[in-house]
Amino acid sequence: MAEHDRRFESVNVEVPRLESILKATGQAKYTDDLRLPNMAYAAIVRSPYSRARVLSIDVSEAEKVPGYLGCLMPEEAPSLYFNCSGNPPSPLLMADETVFTREPKVLGDRIMCVAAETEQAARDAADAVRVEYEVLTPYLDVAAALREGAEPLQPHISSDNVIQYRDVSQGDRKAGEAASDIILEDRFVTPHMQHVTIELTSCLCDFSDGRHLTVYSTSQTVFQERRIMAEILGLKEKDVRFSKPMVGGGFGARQQIHAQHVAALMSRKLGRPINLSYTREEDLYSVVRHGSDVDLRVGAARDGMLQLFDTTFRLNGGPYTTHTPTVVAAAARKLQYKVPNYFFHGVSVFTNHITGGAFRGYGNSQLTFGREILMDRLAAELNMDPVELRLKNQVQVGEYFPCASIPVSSNRIEMCAKRCREIQAEIDAKAPLIDNDELCQAWGIAFCCHGSGPSNKDGLSGAIVMLNDDATIQLLVGSADIGQGSETMECQIAAECLGIPLSSIQITAADTLTTPYNTGTFGSSQTFICGNAVALACDDLKRKVLEQLKIIYSDCRVEEKDCRYCISGSENLEMSFQEAARKIMFDIKGGVMIGAGTYKAAACPNPFSVCFVKAEYHKKLNAIRLLDVIQVVDVGTPINRMTVEGQLEGGIAQGVGYALYERMEINPRSRRTLSSDLLHYRIPQMDDMPQTYVDMVDSYDPYGPLGAKSVGELATVPVAPAIVNAVRYASGQEINSLPLCDKFIILPSRGKERA
Amino acid sequence: MTTGLTQITIKLNGQPRQFTVSGEETLLHVLRERAGLTGAKKGCDLGECGACTVILDGRAVNSCCVFAVQADGRSVETIEGLGSPEHPHPLQQAFIDAGAIQCGFCTPGMIMAAKALLDCNPRPSREEVRQAMSGNLCRCTGYAKIEKAIMMAADVIVKYAERGEG
Repeated sequence: MAEHDRRFESVNVEVPRLESILKATGQAKYTDDLRLPNMAYAAIVRSPYSRARVLSIDVSEAEKVPGYLGCLMPEEAPSLYFNCSGNPPSPLLMADETVFTREPKVLGDRIMCVAAETEQAARDAADAVRVEYEVLTPYLDVAAALREGAEPLQPHISSDNVIQYRDVSQGDRKAGEAASDIILEDRFVTPHMQHVTIELTSCLCDFSDGRHLTVYSTSQTVFQERRIMAEILGLKEKDVRFSKPMVGGGFGARQQIHAQHVAALMSRKLGRPINLSYTREEDLYSVVRHGSDVDLRVGAARDGMLQLFDTTFRLNGGPYTTHTPTVVAAAARKLQYKVPNYFFHGVSVFTNHITGGAFRGYGNSQLTFGREILMDRLAAELNMDPVELRLKNQVQVGEYFPCASIPVSSNRIEMCAKRCREIQAEIDAKAPLIDNDELCQAWGIAFCCHGSGPSNKDGLSGAIVMLNDDATIQLLVGSADIGQGSETMECQIAAECLGIPLSSIQITAADTLTTPYNTGTFGSSQTFICGNAVALACDDLKRKVLEQLKIIYSDCRVEEKDCRYCISGSENLEMSFQEAARKIMFDIKGGVMIGAGTYKAAACPNPFSVCFVKAEYHKKLNAIRLLDVIQVVDVGTPINRMTVEGQLEGGIAQGVGYALYERMEINPRSRRTLSSDLLHYRIPQMDDMPQTYVDMVDSYDPYGPLGAKSVGELATVPVAPAIVNAVRYASGQEINSLPLCDKFIILPSRGKERA
Repeated sequence: MTTGLTQITIKLNGQPRQFTVSGEETLLHVLRERAGLTGAKKGCDLGECGACTVILDGRAVNSCCVFAVQADGRSVETIEGLGSPEHPHPLQQAFIDAGAIQCGFCTPGMIMAAKALLDCNPRPSREEVRQAMSGNLCRCTGYAKIEKAIMMAADVIVKYAERGEG
């Protein structure tokens, strides 16, 4: 579509989220704000060891806690294996987890559950349960788990703790080496990072009658969670309702079942609704971004063209398969450079570390980290500008990523880099780079891409639009807004497609009882996958309105243009959409107008990002300070510019934490994590943040709804490598691992001296 | 375990309210479970995240770290007392307009911490805002729009006050 044709009313504008007034006034209801009559509370007894065997369980002291209601012993829960991941079923997602275990394999593994009249009584009772353990030696890192003689942690899946190998390749390794004038290689290590959603994981389950289960929970993937719960409990999906209230952040942490099964079983046993909410400590142990150990080799000819990209990509999966093989598979699909000889050897490994799951970036963060550092080292070796080297190798529209089946459909990364340079010049004009005896300041950059929707094209979504007689619309979608603003964006897409004001649309989302199927909120898919379904549903509605008018005015000619209807023949009139809605609803030949749309991913368009970081190194202190972070993206049409900006700023903050200090820290003596609260697991505070500058370039993707791609995950991926590259230049030190607090003192980003 | 119960009176959003509480009960628990005010959120119950921030006698506090008995005879302001969907407080309106709200879970605590700041320092510098707000964690926004919202609200409140005086 030519640029001048793209005039939008309701998209590519700034719209405050529709529900923000409820959030600002404290009226918004999150899971733990809900109360059902006769509700009781449950708490899980969890393993304090990373690997052990349960020898005995004694609940006699728990029974004495005032308000104690009962317990659920391991043998009372179904023993079948399942995979908690909120992905659609796949052979990659092996089943190896049970509701309870007598052989805990990770800190916080579920042993049993108690319930009481109050939350405090439930916690007191859980603490009073005496569990005797035989403590076993845990394998906390990949090397320990793969060592010869290591015992298999999941023997029914793997005898050597390798969950799966994933090989993706094209070309010839020897040819790549021969064509390369320079080959650089290194090993890159990234830490386990926790999502730290500010809302704690929580569910409220009512299975009192033992036949119909209702679950309100912090969920990103209500339909997958319904399927898994139906399997575990032996129910039909029609009898399981997952309903998502407001959710206080996800970032991947809620792309899985947590403890809804435990709460449901307890609810059935006691015949009462059960609230089961995590403490911050439980939340921190529940799931993490995989720690990675990546060998990377990049070769280029003297002219800068890449000839070889060769990686062994190892992820520390923790003791359960959950997402690990799909995270590895997704990482293989994010190489945006033209490389004729590409070798990806992925290894998913069982360990006794905190279980790895979905986290914003989904494999892309770990591989892009090392890649973008090596690209900078390569630029230095070739004496080329780091931006020019990347642009020279960037896959263009119509070309393919290595091993990809669909070509790139839109790409404005060159404009992103240009815009970054403009902002950089403005910053440097105000505060020129310093290099003296005390201080050295430098810029670092990184490029990245992501997909729109799951990269294996799993994405599928329905949408329904129902026309009211006053021309307002009920929009039903299965997609879960977890704080990223998808409900507002879907309403904007509907408003744009139907040519009606945003205020005419009411959305209902993510309730398996009332909304159509949606794969789930993951893979940056809600704008692209669900947005396309909404656009198709609106087309369907418009078609049906026209058809119905033709039935009503059967001897006339009826035409639609710009949402107005011209009737000519025996009658001559022109109707607005509103007049048409009323006519259709109440005419003797009227009908109920319901538009339905289904979108199955036909593509997975890549959004692109360029990130520039200005940092300084204090030579005497060996300290670093982040000054400025610029991120400019090509996300296609930004449906809601305010939301996209917010995603970019928030993505930068998570990248800052990842780069500087976030890590699930293990005490080498107790072999347990020290990161049990938010003092021992630090996320960036307001005063820690550097100045941020974000922007989006004009772009349009032919597959996207109204030209949109995605932004959520993209926003955080380039930040850590760009920070590292800036720190490398400023400090003159080579870096190949995170977090940077291992090597440097971290100074607050905007201290008094810069205020 | 102690079962001693105490009768307390809190001036809650301007209205005196009586509660019978145990010695270990936190102010956050009383607000959420007894007063039905779920705007203050529990994000850690350890005083680390700030989601439960309310204003106690003019000062922002983590209500999860205040025993209910400590609030006896004192004044507590919560997000519910600040403004309503029909009549939002300038801070609430600014958070909406600036796009400072994403998942919204930290929002009530953020707004109450900002209210306490502006009540005692109506024209804070950006640096003062960042320092005052650093006990309130947000994982979605990167804080840029929160800082902007507080500066916007400060302008509005000062202008209202000047108009009132004039």
